[in-house]
Amino acid sequence: MKSVWRQPLFLIGFGIITFFLVGSFVFEWMFGNEPKQTFFIEENGRAVEAPPISPNWSHPLGTDQFGYDMLAKIMLGAKFTIIAAMAVAALRMLIAVPLGFALGTYLQRHRSWINGLIDPIHYVPMTIFAILLLTPVLWMPQEGFSTSITERVAIQVVIMALMTVPIVAALIGNEANLLYHNEYILAARTLGASRRRIIVRHLFPQMREKMFVLYGQQIVETLIVFAHLGLVELFLGGTDVDYDPMFADPPRSIAYEWAGLFGNSFRYLQGAPWLPLGPAISFALVILAIAAMIEGYTRATNGQVKMPKRKKMAFFSDETIEWNQQQLKEKMALLKKEK
Amino acid sequence: MKGFAKWLLQLGVALLGIWLISGVPLLISGFQKGQFLWGEYIETLKRLVDSLFPIHDFAVEYYVGWNVKQLPLFPNLAEYIEYSLQLLFLALAAAVFFSLLGTFFTMLLKERARQRVKMVFYFLESLPDILIILLAQLVIVIIYKQTGVLVSKIAVIGDERIYWLPVFCLMILPMIQLYRLSMLTFESEERQMYVELARSLGFGKVVILFSHIFRNAIISVFFQSKKTMWFMLSNLFILEFMFNIPGIMYFMSQNLSGELFLITVLSFFLPVFLLYSIGEWVFVRRMKRGGAAL
Repeated sequence: MKSVWRQPLFLIGFGIITFFLVGSFVFEWMFGNEPKQTFFIEENGRAVEAPPISPNWSHPLGTDQFGYDMLAKIMLGAKFTIIAAMAVAALRMLIAVPLGFALGTYLQRHRSWINGLIDPIHYVPMTIFAILLLTPVLWMPQEGFSTSITERVAIQVVIMALMTVPIVAALIGNEANLLYHNEYILAARTLGASRRRIIVRHLFPQMREKMFVLYGQQIVETLIVFAHLGLVELFLGGTDVDYDPMFADPPRSIAYEWAGLFGNSFRYLQGAPWLPLGPAISFALVILAIAAMIEGYTRATNGQVKMPKRKKMAFFSDETIEWNQQQLKEKMALLKKEK
Repeated sequence: MKGFAKWLLQLGVALLGIWLISGVPLLISGFQKGQFLWGEYIETLKRLVDSLFPIHDFAVEYYVGWNVKQLPLFPNLAEYIEYSLQLLFLALAAAVFFSLLGTFFTMLLKERARQRVKMVFYFLESLPDILIILLAQLVIVIIYKQTGVLVSKIAVIGDERIYWLPVFCLMILPMIQLYRLSMLTFESEERQMYVELARSLGFGKVVILFSHIFRNAIISVFFQSKKTMWFMLSNLFILEFMFNIPGIMYFMSQNLSGELFLITVLSFFLPVFLLYSIGEWVFVRRMKRGGAAL
C-alpha cells in the first residue's frame, strides 16, 4: 500500500488541522486564555484608532468592537470547534455503522421500505431541525442555565450526532448490500459463513476506506451546521444572554469557539469586514483541509483493501501432529526391518 | 396502484415524524431538569393539531417588543412562504441550467484538461456557504464604495423584495455540486458500448453528447440530486438570515415555536416532496417503457 504520508494533498490538509489544534493549545499555554485587549492605538501621543481596530502588524486580524485581538480569539477557540466537530462525526459514525451493516445484511428484505421512510428526511432543512432541538439546550433562560457547560456540550454533541444517523445508516446499508451480492460473498455463504463473519471479514475491510471518507464528510457537515447555528446565536456550549432591560450586552459564547465569533460579528460586515471574515475564513480553511485530506487519502488507497491478518488455523493440536510423526517414523522403521 | 399506496404511506410517516419532532423541545428542556414531561408532550401535540384545523383560521403568535400579536397564515405568512419558495426554485432552476451547461462544455474538452477542471471544482465545492455570501456582499459594498454604483441591495428593508443577488448566492454551491455529480455520471456513461457504437458510425461529439449521453445521464443525476436539494434548504435559511429577507425561515428563527416550525417545515417539505415524487414517477415510467437505458 502506498503510504498516505507521501500524498502532498493529505499532508497539506493534515498540516493545517495540526496547526490549528496544536497551535490552539500552545497559544493558551503561552499567552493564557484571555486575549489581549487594546483600547486605542496612539501615534505621537494622539489616539488615532479606537476598536474595532483594523488589521495591522500587531493585530494581524484586527480587533473586535471591545478591543480584543481577533487572532488570539480564533486561536483560542480553534480547539473547541474542531474537537467538537470531530466528536459529533465520530459519535454519528459509531451509531450509524452498525445500523447500516445490519440494514444491509440482516434486514435486507425490509431495506426497500426502510429506505422509503428515511428518504423524506432529504426534504427537510436540517438547520431548522437543529435550531428547534438545540434552542432549549443552548439558549440561556432568564433564570440562568440549569446545566453545567460540560453537560450542555455533551447534549449538543449527542443531538447533532443523532440528527442525521438515519441518512448515514441508509447510505452504509445500501453500499453493504451492493457488496453483499458479490460472488465471493456467495461463496463464503455457501461454505457456511455466518452473516456476522461476513460483515467482520468481508464487508468491513472492503468498506474501510469509504468509511474514512464518510467520516471526513461528516466533520465538514458538522462544521457547517456549527457555523449556521452561530448565525442564530446558538453557540457551542451555550449562549450567555444578558436579560438586563437597559444596558444588555449582546449574547455571547462562553468559550471563544468560532461559531460564536462569527455569529456575533457578521452584522459588522460593512464597517469592519475583518470581524466576520476572520472566523469565516478559518472555517473555510479547516473544511478545505479536510477535503484535501480526503482527496489525498482516496488517491493513496484507491482500490486497495487492507485485509485483517488471518489467524493461523490449527485443525489439530501440535501434540497430535508430533504423535503422528512419531508413529510414521516407527512404521517406516518397521518396514525397513522387514525388508 | 401499489406504487400510489406506498407513496401515501411515505407521506404519512414523514408528516407523522415532523409532527412528533415539533414537540420534542419540551422533552429536551424537561430532560435538562431531570424530568420526563411525557404528559405535557402529548398535550402539546394535541394542541398543535387542534390549532392547525381549520387551516384558514391558523395563526401564530409573535412578539413586537413585549407584546404578543397574532399573525394569520393567510395572507401574511403565505406571503413569506411564497417569497422563500420563489427564491428556492429560481435558484434551483439556475443551478440545474448552469451545471448542465458547464458539463457540456467540459465534456467537449480533452481528458487532461477535464481532470484539472474537476480538481478545481472539488475544492470550490468545499467552501462554506457563509463565506460565499459574505464575499458576495463584500464585493457589492466595495464596488459601491469605489464607483458609487449599487449593483444590488445587500439587505432587505421592510417588505420590498430583492431577487438576483440572493438567487445568485443561493445557486453557486448547488451548481458546483450538481456539476460534479453530472460530470461523474456523464463520464461513466461515456464509457458505455452504445457511445462507442455511435462514434464508430461517425456521429459527431456534440450529437452523441446531446441525443445519447444526456438523455441517459439525466435520470441518474436526478436520482442523486436529493442530497443537493437537502443542502440547498439549509443554505436558504442562512441566506434569508444574512440578507434580512422577509421569508418564512427568517421569521421562524425570530419567533421559534412548535406551530411555526410545523408550518415552515411543511411549506418546504410538501412542494419538494411532490416535485421529486413526480420526477421519479415520470423517469421510472420512461425507463420501464425502454425509453432509456439506465
